[in-house]
Amino acid sequence: MSKSLVNIESRKKSLHYFFEKVVGPLGFKFTSDEDLMNFLLEQEVILESKHGIPFCPCQPLRNDRARDMQIVCPCIPFHRKHFDEIKRCWCGLFIHKDIIDPDKLPQLPPKEVNNE
Amino acid sequence: MNKITVYTLSTCPWCRKTKNFFNEHKIPFTYIDYDLADEPTQRRILQEVDAAGVNGFPYVKINDEVIVGYQPDRYSKALGL
Amino acid sequence: MSERFIKAISTDEIAPGGMKAVELDGNEIVICNSGGKYYAIQRRCGHMNAPLDMGTLDGIYLTCPMHCAQFDITNGEALSGPVPSDIGHEIPPPFLGKYLQNIGMLMKHVRTESIRTYTTKLEAGWIQINIK
Repeated sequence: MSKSLVNIESRKKSLHYFFEKVVGPLGFKFTSDEDLMNFLLEQEVILESKHGIPFCPCQPLRNDRARDMQIVCPCIPFHRKHFDEIKRCWCGLFIHKDIIDPDKLPQLPPKEVNNE
Repeated sequence: MNKITVYTLSTCPWCRKTKNFFNEHKIPFTYIDYDLADEPTQRRILQEVDAAGVNGFPYVKINDEVIVGYQPDRYSKALGL
Repeated sequence: MSERFIKAISTDEIAPGGMKAVELDGNEIVICNSGGKYYAIQRRCGHMNAPLDMGTLDGIYLTCPMHCAQFDITNGEALSGPVPSDIGHEIPPPFLGKYLQNIGMLMKHVRTESIRTYTTKLEAGWIQINIK
């Protein structure tokens, strides 16, 4: 679908519905930062209308199907250890269920987590 | 004079925050939005990012130091702010 | 606004989360049971005409079995287009490669249209559909 044809708000709502069911059993929930959530979901709708798949807005596409599949949202299962350690996913759309203040969760790459 | 290079994605809010950090502190830097770059540039960036053992943006290089993820405290420290 | 309700199926024939294809006066329709509420939509996917009753229904969202286009069954809105199936970067034999390239080029021009919906009403355990 071209960008001009999909209704962004409708698509965001349906992505929210599907994603919530996937991340819940993994111990995650949508971030309580609503502005961030809306911005990221909107970027994913745009990416989906361009590529046909809602990719993570904060990780690079490599034109390598096997690797690109690892950043299809929600990409938590492919980065479980890392995301469980920082209690959020890379772009911050999802956070651990027990987190009250997502602003306090730094965006750390895997190598730096144990140094905290 | 610090040499600052930043690799970002036009779709990423943390990358936007990173650019704002340098702008607000009036620190000159160059950046490339990976997703808007041509293929050879993308390949070059990926080589560098892979060599550093990471796979996310923002990717900030302050002289020889590489900082991945939005980390304003570390930017300040690296710049002696 | 003109109406013409036709008796379609009994409520027994379709459980929550289920779908059933019917043909009423030449109209190919899929009846969906979403949490006890009945919706009726056109049977043919707005992308490439695949039968939507062979897809999956989750809540009010229906996913087409052919290329995974998704629709809101309450209003027929197309929410997403086909998901590309990339067979990787293996180089296919020349005749297949050319064929795929041609299909790929043509499919770029295919749009995923929103689908027609029909109003429904219940009467004595039967689902009726307005086909006007």
